[in-house]
Amino acid sequence: MKKKSRRSFLEIATAFIGGLISLAAGIPLIGFAISPAFKKGESKWVDLGLADRLKNSRFKKVDYTFTAKDGWVKATKKRSVYVTDAGNGEWDVFSRTCSHLGCLVRWDEKQESFLCPCHGAIFDKTGAVIAGPPPDPLQKLETKVEAGILYVKES
Amino acid sequence: MSYIGIKQFLRERLPLAALDAHLRKPLPKHINLLFSFGSLAMFLLLLQAATGAFLAFYYSPSPEHAHNAVTYISTEVPFGAFVRGLHHWGASALVIIVVLHLLRVVLYSSYKAPRELTWIFGVLLLLVVLGFGFTGYLLPWDEKAYWATVVGVEIASTAPGLGDFVAKVLRGGTEIGAVTLSRFYALHTIWLPWLVFGLVGAHLFFVRYYGSSGTPKNTPEEMSTGKPFYPHQVFEDVVGMLILFVILAAVALFVPVPLEDVADPTNADYDPRPEWYFLFLFQLLKYFQGPFEIIGTFVIPTVGMLLLLFLPFLDKSERTVLWKRPIALTVTSICVVGIVVLTILGGTSKKLETTEAAGQETTQPIEQIQGVATPDTDAETVDEGEAVFDFQLTEEEIENAIAVEEGQQ
Repeated sequence: MKKKSRRSFLEIATAFIGGLISLAAGIPLIGFAISPAFKKGESKWVDLGLADRLKNSRFKKVDYTFTAKDGWVKATKKRSVYVTDAGNGEWDVFSRTCSHLGCLVRWDEKQESFLCPCHGAIFDKTGAVIAGPPPDPLQKLETKVEAGILYVKES
Repeated sequence: MSYIGIKQFLRERLPLAALDAHLRKPLPKHINLLFSFGSLAMFLLLLQAATGAFLAFYYSPSPEHAHNAVTYISTEVPFGAFVRGLHHWGASALVIIVVLHLLRVVLYSSYKAPRELTWIFGVLLLLVVLGFGFTGYLLPWDEKAYWATVVGVEIASTAPGLGDFVAKVLRGGTEIGAVTLSRFYALHTIWLPWLVFGLVGAHLFFVRYYGSSGTPKNTPEEMSTGKPFYPHQVFEDVVGMLILFVILAAVALFVPVPLEDVADPTNADYDPRPEWYFLFLFQLLKYFQGPFEIIGTFVIPTVGMLLLLFLPFLDKSERTVLWKRPIALTVTSICVVGIVVLTILGGTSKKLETTEAAGQETTQPIEQIQGVATPDTDAETVDEGEAVFDFQLTEEEIENAIAVEEGQQ
Protein backbone atom coordinates (compact mmCIF):
# COMPACT_ATOMS: atom_id res chain seq x y z
CA MET A 1 0.00 0.00 0.00
CA LYS A 2 2.83 2.33 1.00
CA LYS A 3 4.70 1.43 -2.19
CA LYS A 4 1.67 2.19 -4.32
CA SER A 5 1.05 5.58 -2.72
CA ARG A 6 4.72 6.54 -3.26
CA ARG A 7 4.39 5.53 -6.88
CA SER A 8 1.27 7.58 -7.40
CA PHE A 9 2.93 10.55 -5.66
CA LEU A 10 5.87 10.28 -8.06
CA GLU A 11 3.51 10.07 -11.04
CA ILE A 12 1.68 13.21 -9.96
CA ALA A 13 4.93 15.03 -9.15
CA THR A 14 6.39 14.02 -12.53
CA ALA A 15 3.33 15.29 -14.36
CA PHE A 16 3.37 18.51 -12.29
CA ILE A 17 7.04 19.26 -12.96
CA GLY A 18 6.66 18.33 -16.62
CA GLY A 19 3.69 20.70 -16.87
CA LEU A 20 5.61 23.43 -15.07
CA ILE A 21 8.53 23.22 -17.52
CA SER A 22 6.14 23.14 -20.47
CA LEU A 23 4.38 26.26 -19.20
CA ALA A 24 7.60 28.10 -18.35
CA ALA A 25 8.95 27.44 -21.84
CA GLY A 26 5.63 27.50 -23.67
CA ILE A 27 4.28 30.86 -22.50
CA PRO A 28 7.29 32.90 -23.75
CA LEU A 29 7.39 30.88 -26.97
CA ILE A 30 3.69 31.41 -27.71
CA GLY A 31 3.98 35.08 -26.71
CA PHE A 32 6.96 35.42 -29.03
CA ALA A 33 5.00 33.95 -31.94
CA ILE A 34 1.68 35.75 -31.48
CA SER A 35 3.03 39.16 -30.41
CA PRO A 36 2.37 40.80 -33.82
CA ALA A 37 -1.36 40.37 -33.12
CA PHE A 38 -1.04 42.84 -30.24
CA LYS A 39 1.02 45.38 -32.11
CA LYS A 40 -0.88 48.56 -32.95
CA GLY A 41 -0.53 49.68 -36.54
CA GLU A 42 0.87 53.16 -36.97
CA SER A 43 -1.27 55.59 -38.93
CA LYS A 44 0.34 58.21 -41.11
CA TRP A 45 -0.66 60.79 -43.69
CA VAL A 46 0.42 59.85 -47.20
CA ASP A 47 0.86 62.35 -50.01
CA LEU A 48 -1.43 61.61 -53.02
CA GLY A 49 -0.11 64.52 -55.07
CA LEU A 50 -1.47 67.93 -56.01
CA ALA A 51 -5.17 68.27 -55.24
CA ASP A 52 -5.60 70.36 -58.42
CA ARG A 53 -4.45 67.44 -60.52
CA LEU A 54 -7.33 65.40 -59.13
CA LYS A 55 -9.94 68.17 -59.41
CA ASN A 56 -13.25 67.03 -60.97
CA SER A 57 -11.99 63.46 -60.98
CA ARG A 58 -14.63 60.80 -60.65
CA PHE A 59 -13.65 57.40 -59.24
CA LYS A 60 -10.17 57.94 -60.60
CA LYS A 61 -7.82 55.08 -59.79
CA VAL A 62 -4.75 56.35 -57.98
CA ASP A 63 -1.82 54.11 -57.03
CA TYR A 64 0.65 55.41 -54.51
CA THR A 65 3.57 54.21 -52.45
CA PHE A 66 4.83 55.03 -49.00
CA THR A 67 7.53 53.68 -46.73
CA ALA A 68 6.68 51.80 -43.59
CA LYS A 69 8.48 49.54 -41.16
CA ASP A 70 7.86 45.89 -41.98
CA GLY A 71 9.54 43.87 -39.25
CA TRP A 72 13.26 44.57 -39.67
CA VAL A 73 12.80 46.07 -43.15
CA LYS A 74 11.95 49.63 -44.15
CA ALA A 75 9.62 48.61 -46.95
CA THR A 76 7.95 50.47 -49.78
CA LYS A 77 4.26 49.66 -49.62
CA LYS A 78 1.93 50.00 -52.58
CA ARG A 79 -1.73 50.97 -52.30
CA SER A 80 -4.52 51.61 -54.74
CA VAL A 81 -7.59 53.83 -54.14
CA TYR A 82 -10.45 55.46 -56.07
CA VAL A 83 -10.57 59.24 -55.71
CA THR A 84 -13.64 61.41 -56.32
CA ASP A 85 -13.80 65.18 -56.05
CA ALA A 86 -16.82 65.72 -53.78
CA GLY A 87 -16.71 69.53 -54.26
CA ASN A 88 -16.09 72.27 -51.68
CA GLY A 89 -12.56 71.03 -51.21
CA GLU A 90 -13.81 67.63 -49.99
CA TRP A 91 -12.61 64.31 -51.38
CA ASP A 92 -14.00 60.80 -51.31
CA VAL A 93 -11.18 58.29 -51.29
CA PHE A 94 -12.23 54.64 -51.29
CA SER A 95 -9.92 51.83 -50.46
CA ARG A 96 -10.01 49.20 -53.21
CA THR A 97 -9.81 46.39 -50.69
CA CYS A 98 -13.07 44.46 -50.56
CA SER A 99 -14.44 44.33 -47.02
CA HIS A 100 -15.24 40.65 -47.49
CA LEU A 101 -11.90 38.86 -47.94
CA GLY A 102 -9.46 41.45 -49.23
CA CYS A 103 -9.59 41.15 -53.04
CA LEU A 104 -9.26 44.43 -54.99
CA VAL A 105 -12.53 45.88 -56.30
CA ARG A 106 -12.89 47.57 -59.71
CA TRP A 107 -15.09 50.57 -60.55
CA ASP A 108 -17.55 49.87 -63.33
CA GLU A 109 -18.72 53.07 -64.99
CA LYS A 110 -21.74 51.45 -66.69
CA GLN A 111 -23.15 49.97 -63.50
CA GLU A 112 -21.85 52.85 -61.40
CA SER A 113 -20.69 50.28 -58.88
CA PHE A 114 -17.57 48.73 -57.42
CA LEU A 115 -17.35 45.06 -58.40
CA CYS A 116 -15.32 42.46 -56.59
CA PRO A 117 -13.76 39.77 -58.82
CA CYS A 118 -13.70 37.13 -56.08
CA HIS A 119 -17.11 36.34 -54.59
CA GLY A 120 -19.44 38.59 -56.55
CA ALA A 121 -19.67 41.51 -54.12
CA ILE A 122 -21.11 44.77 -55.47
CA PHE A 123 -20.82 48.16 -53.74
CA ASP A 124 -22.62 51.32 -54.84
CA LYS A 125 -20.88 54.65 -55.45
CA THR A 126 -21.06 55.52 -51.76
CA GLY A 127 -19.31 52.26 -50.95
CA ALA A 128 -22.42 50.61 -49.48
CA VAL A 129 -22.98 46.89 -50.11
CA ILE A 130 -25.57 46.18 -52.81
CA ALA A 131 -25.01 42.48 -53.29
CA GLY A 132 -22.76 39.63 -52.25
CA PRO A 133 -21.28 38.47 -48.98
CA PRO A 134 -19.38 41.54 -47.57
CA PRO A 135 -20.51 42.46 -44.06
CA ASP A 136 -19.28 46.07 -44.28
CA PRO A 137 -19.14 48.89 -46.81
CA LEU A 138 -15.91 49.79 -48.62
CA GLN A 139 -13.51 51.64 -46.37
CA LYS A 140 -13.44 55.39 -46.93
CA LEU A 141 -10.05 56.88 -46.09
CA GLU A 142 -9.66 60.06 -44.08
CA THR A 143 -8.36 62.94 -46.21
CA LYS A 144 -6.95 66.42 -45.81
CA VAL A 145 -5.56 69.08 -48.12
CA GLU A 146 -2.52 71.04 -47.04
CA ALA A 147 -0.63 73.53 -49.20
CA GLY A 148 -2.54 72.21 -52.22
CA ILE A 149 -1.49 68.59 -51.59
CA LEU A 150 -4.10 65.88 -51.01
CA TYR A 151 -3.22 63.48 -48.19
CA VAL A 152 -4.90 60.22 -47.13
CA LYS A 153 -4.53 58.59 -43.77
CA GLU A 154 -2.90 55.18 -43.91
CA SER A 155 -3.46 52.94 -40.94
CA MET B 1 -17.35 11.93 -22.80
CA SER B 2 -15.91 11.70 -19.32
CA TYR B 3 -12.21 11.33 -18.52
CA ILE B 4 -12.73 7.64 -17.71
CA GLY B 5 -14.67 7.25 -20.95
CA ILE B 6 -11.82 8.78 -22.98
CA LYS B 7 -9.30 6.55 -21.19
CA GLN B 8 -11.42 3.50 -21.94
CA PHE B 9 -11.79 4.59 -25.59
CA LEU B 10 -8.01 4.94 -25.97
CA ARG B 11 -7.27 1.68 -24.11
CA GLU B 12 -9.48 -0.19 -26.54
CA ARG B 13 -7.72 1.30 -29.56
CA LEU B 14 -4.07 1.73 -28.54
CA PRO B 15 -1.66 -0.72 -26.91
CA LEU B 16 -1.54 1.43 -23.78
CA ALA B 17 -1.35 -1.51 -21.39
CA ALA B 18 1.70 -2.90 -23.21
CA LEU B 19 3.31 0.57 -23.25
CA ASP B 20 2.57 0.97 -19.54
CA ALA B 21 4.16 -2.39 -18.73
CA HIS B 22 7.17 -1.50 -20.87
CA LEU B 23 7.66 1.86 -19.14
CA ARG B 24 7.38 0.27 -15.70
CA LYS B 25 10.04 -2.35 -16.47
CA PRO B 26 12.56 -2.39 -13.61
CA LEU B 27 16.00 -0.93 -14.20
CA PRO B 28 19.24 -2.45 -12.89
CA LYS B 29 20.05 -1.73 -9.28
CA HIS B 30 22.50 1.03 -8.29
CA ILE B 31 21.32 3.44 -11.01
CA ASN B 32 22.45 6.90 -9.94
CA LEU B 33 21.99 10.51 -11.02
CA LEU B 34 24.65 10.17 -13.74
CA PHE B 35 22.14 8.06 -15.65
CA SER B 36 19.99 11.15 -16.22
CA PHE B 37 22.40 12.75 -18.72
CA GLY B 38 20.77 10.96 -21.66
CA SER B 39 17.32 12.23 -20.70
CA LEU B 40 18.72 15.72 -20.13
CA ALA B 41 20.31 15.66 -23.60
CA MET B 42 16.95 14.59 -25.02
CA PHE B 43 15.23 17.42 -23.14
CA LEU B 44 17.72 19.98 -24.47
CA LEU B 45 17.33 18.66 -28.01
CA LEU B 46 13.56 19.16 -27.73
CA LEU B 47 14.07 22.64 -26.25
CA GLN B 48 16.42 23.50 -29.13
CA ALA B 49 13.84 22.18 -31.61
CA ALA B 50 11.06 24.24 -30.01
CA THR B 51 13.01 27.49 -29.65
CA GLY B 52 14.50 27.05 -33.13
CA ALA B 53 11.09 26.48 -34.70
CA PHE B 54 9.80 29.66 -33.06
CA LEU B 55 12.89 31.72 -33.96
CA ALA B 56 12.32 30.75 -37.60
CA PHE B 57 9.12 32.86 -37.53
CA TYR B 58 11.27 35.99 -37.56
CA TYR B 59 14.40 34.91 -39.40
CA SER B 60 15.35 35.37 -43.04
CA PRO B 61 18.40 33.50 -44.36
CA SER B 62 19.87 36.10 -46.68
CA PRO B 63 22.95 38.31 -46.15
CA GLU B 64 20.76 41.42 -46.61
CA HIS B 65 18.29 40.43 -43.91
CA ALA B 66 19.82 37.91 -41.48
CA HIS B 67 21.67 40.32 -39.18
CA ASN B 68 18.77 42.80 -39.08
CA ALA B 69 16.31 39.99 -38.41
CA VAL B 70 18.37 38.73 -35.47
CA THR B 71 18.68 42.28 -34.12
CA TYR B 72 14.91 42.65 -34.50
CA ILE B 73 14.34 39.39 -32.58
CA SER B 74 16.68 40.49 -29.80
CA THR B 75 15.47 44.05 -29.42
CA GLU B 76 11.89 44.40 -30.65
CA VAL B 77 9.96 41.13 -30.47
CA PRO B 78 8.43 40.44 -27.04
CA PHE B 79 10.32 37.54 -25.36
CA GLY B 80 12.71 37.62 -28.36
CA ALA B 81 15.92 38.07 -26.36
CA PHE B 82 14.78 35.30 -23.98
CA VAL B 83 13.90 32.82 -26.75
CA ARG B 84 17.16 33.54 -28.58
CA GLY B 85 19.01 33.25 -25.27
CA LEU B 86 17.44 29.85 -24.57
CA HIS B 87 18.44 28.67 -28.06
CA HIS B 88 21.98 30.07 -27.94
CA TRP B 89 22.91 29.00 -24.41
CA GLY B 90 20.88 25.81 -24.85
CA ALA B 91 23.26 24.83 -27.65
CA SER B 92 26.24 25.16 -25.32
CA ALA B 93 24.41 23.28 -22.57
CA LEU B 94 23.58 20.50 -25.03
CA VAL B 95 27.24 20.07 -25.98
CA ILE B 96 28.21 19.91 -22.27
CA ILE B 97 25.48 17.41 -21.39
CA VAL B 98 26.18 15.20 -24.42
CA VAL B 99 29.89 15.08 -23.53
CA LEU B 100 29.08 14.28 -19.88
CA HIS B 101 26.72 11.54 -21.09
CA LEU B 102 29.50 10.12 -23.25
CA LEU B 103 31.97 10.22 -20.35
CA ARG B 104 29.51 8.42 -18.08
CA VAL B 105 29.12 5.71 -20.71
CA VAL B 106 32.91 5.37 -21.07
CA LEU B 107 33.59 5.31 -17.33
CA TYR B 108 30.88 2.69 -16.66
CA SER B 109 31.89 0.58 -19.71
CA SER B 110 28.34 0.90 -21.01
CA TYR B 111 29.55 0.83 -24.62
CA LYS B 112 30.66 -2.77 -24.38
CA ALA B 113 28.83 -5.75 -25.90
CA PRO B 114 25.95 -6.05 -26.53
CA ARG B 115 25.51 -2.26 -26.62
CA GLU B 116 27.89 -1.41 -29.49
CA LEU B 117 25.08 -0.11 -31.71
CA THR B 118 23.71 2.12 -28.92
CA TRP B 119 27.20 3.61 -28.64
CA ILE B 120 27.69 4.07 -32.40
CA PHE B 121 24.39 5.89 -32.77
CA GLY B 122 25.30 7.97 -29.72
CA VAL B 123 28.62 9.05 -31.27
CA LEU B 124 26.82 9.89 -34.53
CA LEU B 125 24.44 12.03 -32.46
CA LEU B 126 27.43 13.85 -30.95
CA LEU B 127 28.65 14.62 -34.49
CA VAL B 128 25.22 15.88 -35.50
CA VAL B 129 25.06 18.09 -32.39
CA LEU B 130 28.41 19.61 -33.39
CA GLY B 131 27.03 19.96 -36.92
CA PHE B 132 24.08 21.89 -35.52
CA GLY B 133 26.54 24.18 -33.74
CA PHE B 134 28.63 24.75 -36.85
CA THR B 135 25.67 25.44 -39.16
CA GLY B 136 23.85 27.46 -36.51
CA TYR B 137 26.36 30.08 -35.73
CA LEU B 138 26.59 31.31 -39.32
CA LEU B 139 22.92 32.28 -39.19
CA PRO B 140 23.22 35.66 -37.34
CA TRP B 141 25.59 36.73 -40.15
CA ASP B 142 27.84 38.72 -37.86
CA GLU B 143 31.64 38.86 -37.90
CA LYS B 144 32.03 35.76 -35.74
CA ALA B 145 29.55 33.86 -37.90
CA TYR B 146 31.29 34.76 -41.11
CA TRP B 147 34.91 34.28 -40.10
CA ALA B 148 34.39 31.12 -38.06
CA THR B 149 32.63 29.62 -41.08
CA VAL B 150 35.41 30.75 -43.42
CA VAL B 151 37.93 28.94 -41.21
CA GLY B 152 35.67 25.91 -40.66
CA VAL B 153 35.11 25.38 -44.36
CA GLU B 154 38.82 25.88 -45.09
CA ILE B 155 39.53 23.10 -42.56
CA ALA B 156 37.20 20.82 -44.52
CA SER B 157 38.99 21.79 -47.74
CA THR B 158 42.28 20.31 -46.50
CA ALA B 159 40.87 16.78 -46.57
CA PRO B 160 42.88 14.82 -49.12
CA GLY B 161 41.18 14.17 -52.45
CA LEU B 162 37.67 15.42 -51.85
CA GLY B 163 38.53 18.43 -49.66
CA ASP B 164 38.09 21.10 -52.29
CA PHE B 165 34.90 19.49 -53.53
CA VAL B 166 33.44 19.27 -50.00
CA ALA B 167 34.33 22.91 -49.32
CA LYS B 168 32.64 24.05 -52.52
CA VAL B 169 29.55 22.00 -51.72
CA LEU B 170 29.43 23.45 -48.19
CA ARG B 171 29.83 27.01 -49.45
CA GLY B 172 27.67 26.50 -52.52
CA GLY B 173 30.51 28.03 -54.53
CA THR B 174 33.97 29.40 -54.07
CA GLU B 175 33.20 31.86 -51.29
CA ILE B 176 30.90 32.32 -48.33
CA GLY B 177 27.82 34.27 -49.38
CA ALA B 178 24.08 34.14 -49.96
CA VAL B 179 24.12 30.53 -51.18
CA THR B 180 26.16 29.42 -48.15
CA LEU B 181 23.78 31.08 -45.70
CA SER B 182 20.78 29.58 -47.43
CA ARG B 183 22.18 26.05 -47.38
CA PHE B 184 23.44 26.30 -43.81
CA TYR B 185 19.93 27.37 -42.82
CA ALA B 186 18.46 24.41 -44.72
CA LEU B 187 20.96 22.05 -43.06
CA HIS B 188 20.32 23.54 -39.62
CA THR B 189 16.53 23.56 -39.78
CA ILE B 190 15.58 20.71 -42.12
CA TRP B 191 18.32 18.18 -42.89
CA LEU B 192 19.99 17.87 -39.48
CA PRO B 193 16.68 17.79 -37.56
CA TRP B 194 15.48 14.86 -39.72
CA LEU B 195 18.82 13.16 -39.23
CA VAL B 196 18.74 13.70 -35.48
CA PHE B 197 15.16 12.42 -35.39
CA GLY B 198 16.25 9.16 -37.01
CA LEU B 199 19.41 8.82 -34.93
CA VAL B 200 17.62 9.52 -31.64
CA GLY B 201 14.97 6.97 -32.64
CA ALA B 202 17.62 4.32 -33.30
CA HIS B 203 19.59 5.24 -30.16
CA LEU B 204 16.49 5.04 -27.95
CA PHE B 205 15.40 1.79 -29.56
CA PHE B 206 18.73 0.19 -28.68
CA VAL B 207 18.71 1.73 -25.19
CA ARG B 208 15.33 0.12 -24.52
CA TYR B 209 16.06 -3.09 -26.44
CA TYR B 210 19.32 -3.92 -24.64
CA GLY B 211 18.29 -2.14 -21.46
CA SER B 212 20.42 0.06 -19.26
CA SER B 213 23.91 -1.25 -18.64
CA GLY B 214 23.67 -0.34 -14.99
CA THR B 215 26.86 0.25 -13.05
CA PRO B 216 29.84 -2.11 -12.73
CA LYS B 217 28.53 -2.88 -9.22
CA ASN B 218 25.59 -4.82 -10.62
CA THR B 219 25.59 -8.58 -10.43
CA PRO B 220 23.71 -10.33 -13.28
CA GLU B 221 20.83 -10.99 -10.83
CA GLU B 222 20.57 -7.30 -10.05
CA MET B 223 20.09 -6.25 -13.68
CA SER B 224 16.32 -6.22 -13.42
CA THR B 225 15.62 -5.80 -9.73
CA GLY B 226 15.98 -2.04 -9.43
CA LYS B 227 13.33 0.66 -9.46
CA PRO B 228 10.97 0.88 -12.41
CA PHE B 229 11.85 3.33 -15.20
CA TYR B 230 8.49 5.01 -14.76
CA PRO B 231 7.78 6.80 -12.51
CA HIS B 232 11.00 6.53 -10.44
CA GLN B 233 13.70 7.23 -13.04
CA VAL B 234 11.45 9.59 -15.01
CA PHE B 235 10.79 11.59 -11.83
CA GLU B 236 14.53 12.02 -11.24
CA ASP B 237 14.97 12.96 -14.88
CA VAL B 238 12.27 15.66 -14.80
CA VAL B 239 13.74 17.11 -11.59
CA GLY B 240 17.07 17.33 -13.46
CA MET B 241 15.29 18.94 -16.40
CA LEU B 242 13.67 21.50 -14.11
CA ILE B 243 17.03 22.41 -12.54
CA LEU B 244 18.64 22.62 -15.98
CA PHE B 245 15.79 24.73 -17.34
CA VAL B 246 15.92 27.15 -14.38
CA ILE B 247 19.68 27.63 -14.87
CA LEU B 248 19.28 28.04 -18.61
CA ALA B 249 16.38 30.49 -18.22
CA ALA B 250 18.40 32.55 -15.72
CA VAL B 251 21.36 32.69 -18.11
CA ALA B 252 19.04 33.55 -21.03
CA LEU B 253 17.48 36.36 -18.94
CA PHE B 254 20.64 37.88 -17.53
CA VAL B 255 23.42 37.16 -20.04
CA PRO B 256 22.76 38.83 -23.39
CA VAL B 257 23.54 36.72 -26.43
CA PRO B 258 26.42 38.33 -28.30
CA LEU B 259 25.75 39.79 -31.72
CA GLU B 260 28.74 41.38 -33.38
CA ASP B 261 28.75 43.80 -36.31
CA VAL B 262 27.36 42.57 -39.59
CA ALA B 263 29.74 40.24 -41.49
CA ASP B 264 32.35 42.14 -43.43
CA PRO B 265 34.59 40.07 -45.72
CA THR B 266 37.11 42.95 -45.89
CA ASN B 267 37.50 43.44 -42.16
CA ALA B 268 41.09 42.33 -41.62
CA ASP B 269 41.05 43.80 -38.09
CA TYR B 270 38.75 41.05 -36.87
CA ASP B 271 40.31 38.11 -35.01
CA PRO B 272 38.21 35.07 -35.89
CA ARG B 273 37.40 32.74 -32.99
CA PRO B 274 35.02 29.75 -33.11
CA GLU B 275 32.42 28.86 -30.49
CA TRP B 276 34.02 27.57 -27.28
CA TYR B 277 33.31 23.93 -28.15
CA PHE B 278 35.52 24.16 -31.24
CA LEU B 279 38.31 26.12 -29.50
CA PHE B 280 40.39 22.97 -28.85
CA LEU B 281 40.52 22.30 -32.58
CA PHE B 282 41.29 25.97 -33.26
CA GLN B 283 44.23 25.79 -30.85
CA LEU B 284 45.41 22.41 -32.13
CA LEU B 285 45.79 23.80 -35.66
CA LYS B 286 48.48 26.23 -34.47
CA TYR B 287 50.90 23.38 -33.68
CA PHE B 288 50.98 21.85 -37.15
CA GLN B 289 52.72 24.04 -39.64
CA GLY B 290 53.64 23.89 -43.31
CA PRO B 291 53.41 20.37 -44.72
CA PHE B 292 52.14 19.08 -41.33
CA GLU B 293 49.02 21.30 -41.48
CA ILE B 294 46.89 18.35 -42.58
CA ILE B 295 47.68 16.51 -39.34
CA GLY B 296 45.77 19.13 -37.34
CA THR B 297 43.02 19.80 -39.83
CA PHE B 298 42.28 16.28 -41.00
CA VAL B 299 44.30 13.42 -39.53
CA ILE B 300 43.76 14.00 -35.79
CA PRO B 301 40.03 14.91 -36.01
CA THR B 302 39.26 12.03 -38.39
CA VAL B 303 41.29 9.40 -36.58
CA GLY B 304 39.94 10.65 -33.22
CA MET B 305 36.36 10.37 -34.41
CA LEU B 306 36.90 6.92 -35.96
CA LEU B 307 38.53 5.66 -32.75
CA LEU B 308 35.62 7.01 -30.75
CA LEU B 309 33.07 5.51 -33.14
CA PHE B 310 34.63 2.05 -33.05
CA LEU B 311 35.65 2.10 -29.39
CA PRO B 312 33.53 -0.97 -28.50
CA PHE B 313 35.47 -3.02 -31.05
CA LEU B 314 38.84 -1.74 -29.86
CA ASP B 315 38.21 -2.29 -26.17
CA LYS B 316 36.71 -5.76 -25.94
CA SER B 317 37.87 -6.56 -22.42
CA GLU B 318 35.13 -7.74 -20.11
CA ARG B 319 36.41 -5.71 -17.18
CA THR B 320 33.98 -2.97 -16.29
CA VAL B 321 35.31 -1.57 -13.03
CA LEU B 322 37.19 1.63 -13.70
CA TRP B 323 40.34 1.00 -11.65
CA LYS B 324 40.81 -2.35 -13.38
CA ARG B 325 40.93 -0.62 -16.79
CA PRO B 326 44.19 1.38 -16.61
CA ILE B 327 44.49 1.90 -20.37
CA ALA B 328 40.92 3.14 -20.78
CA LEU B 329 41.30 5.39 -17.75
CA THR B 330 44.62 6.82 -18.98
CA VAL B 331 43.45 7.43 -22.55
CA THR B 332 40.19 9.04 -21.40
CA SER B 333 42.02 11.23 -18.89
CA ILE B 334 44.58 12.35 -21.50
CA CYS B 335 41.80 13.16 -23.99
CA VAL B 336 39.73 15.10 -21.44
CA VAL B 337 42.71 17.01 -20.02
CA GLY B 338 44.05 17.64 -23.53
CA ILE B 339 40.74 19.02 -24.81
CA VAL B 340 40.24 21.16 -21.68
CA VAL B 341 43.80 22.55 -21.84
CA LEU B 342 43.56 23.26 -25.59
CA THR B 343 40.17 24.94 -25.05
CA ILE B 344 41.60 27.17 -22.31
CA LEU B 345 44.68 28.00 -24.40
CA GLY B 346 42.49 28.74 -27.41
CA GLY B 347 40.12 30.89 -25.38
CA THR B 348 42.86 32.88 -23.72
CA SER B 349 45.13 33.20 -26.75
CA LYS B 350 46.10 36.79 -27.39
CA LYS B 351 44.47 38.61 -30.23
CA LEU B 352 46.73 39.85 -32.97
CA GLU B 353 48.18 43.32 -32.52
CA THR B 354 49.65 44.98 -35.57
CA THR B 355 51.12 48.33 -36.39
CA GLU B 356 50.18 49.74 -39.76
CA ALA B 357 53.08 50.51 -42.09
CA ALA B 358 53.22 54.23 -42.87
CA GLY B 359 51.63 55.09 -46.19
CA GLN B 360 50.30 51.57 -46.56
CA GLU B 361 47.19 52.77 -48.36
CA THR B 362 49.20 54.14 -51.25
CA THR B 363 51.29 51.08 -51.98
CA GLN B 364 48.87 50.17 -54.79
CA PRO B 365 49.23 51.89 -58.17
CA ILE B 366 46.95 54.92 -58.22
CA GLU B 367 44.91 53.55 -61.19
CA GLN B 368 43.98 50.51 -59.17
CA ILE B 369 42.82 52.61 -56.25
CA GLN B 370 40.62 54.63 -58.59
CA GLY B 371 39.31 51.44 -60.12
CA VAL B 372 38.05 50.04 -56.83
CA ALA B 373 36.97 53.28 -55.20
CA THR B 374 33.44 53.04 -53.89
CA PRO B 375 31.02 55.54 -55.38
CA ASP B 376 29.36 57.70 -52.79
CA THR B 377 25.86 56.68 -53.75
CA ASP B 378 24.37 57.80 -50.42
CA ALA B 379 25.20 61.43 -51.08
CA GLU B 380 21.96 63.18 -51.92
CA THR B 381 23.68 66.00 -53.77
CA VAL B 382 24.91 63.72 -56.56
CA ASP B 383 22.76 64.38 -59.61
CA GLU B 384 22.30 62.04 -62.50
CA GLY B 385 25.25 62.17 -64.83
CA GLU B 386 27.42 63.93 -62.34
CA ALA B 387 30.72 62.31 -61.49
CA VAL B 388 30.51 60.51 -58.22
CA PHE B 389 34.26 60.29 -57.69
CA ASP B 390 35.91 63.22 -56.11
CA PHE B 391 39.54 63.21 -57.09
CA GLN B 392 41.00 66.68 -56.71
CA LEU B 393 43.91 67.45 -58.99
CA THR B 394 46.59 69.71 -57.62
CA GLU B 395 47.37 72.94 -59.41
CA GLU B 396 50.72 71.50 -60.47
CA GLU B 397 49.00 68.45 -62.01
CA ILE B 398 46.56 70.68 -63.89
CA GLU B 399 49.41 72.83 -65.27
CA ASN B 400 51.33 69.72 -66.33
CA ALA B 401 48.24 68.30 -68.04
CA ILE B 402 47.69 71.59 -69.94
CA ALA B 403 51.35 71.64 -70.93
CA VAL B 404 51.14 68.05 -72.24
CA GLU B 405 47.96 68.85 -74.17
CA GLU B 406 49.49 71.98 -75.71
CA GLY B 407 52.63 70.04 -76.58
CA GLN B 408 50.51 67.43 -78.43
CA GLN B 409 48.73 70.13 -80.42
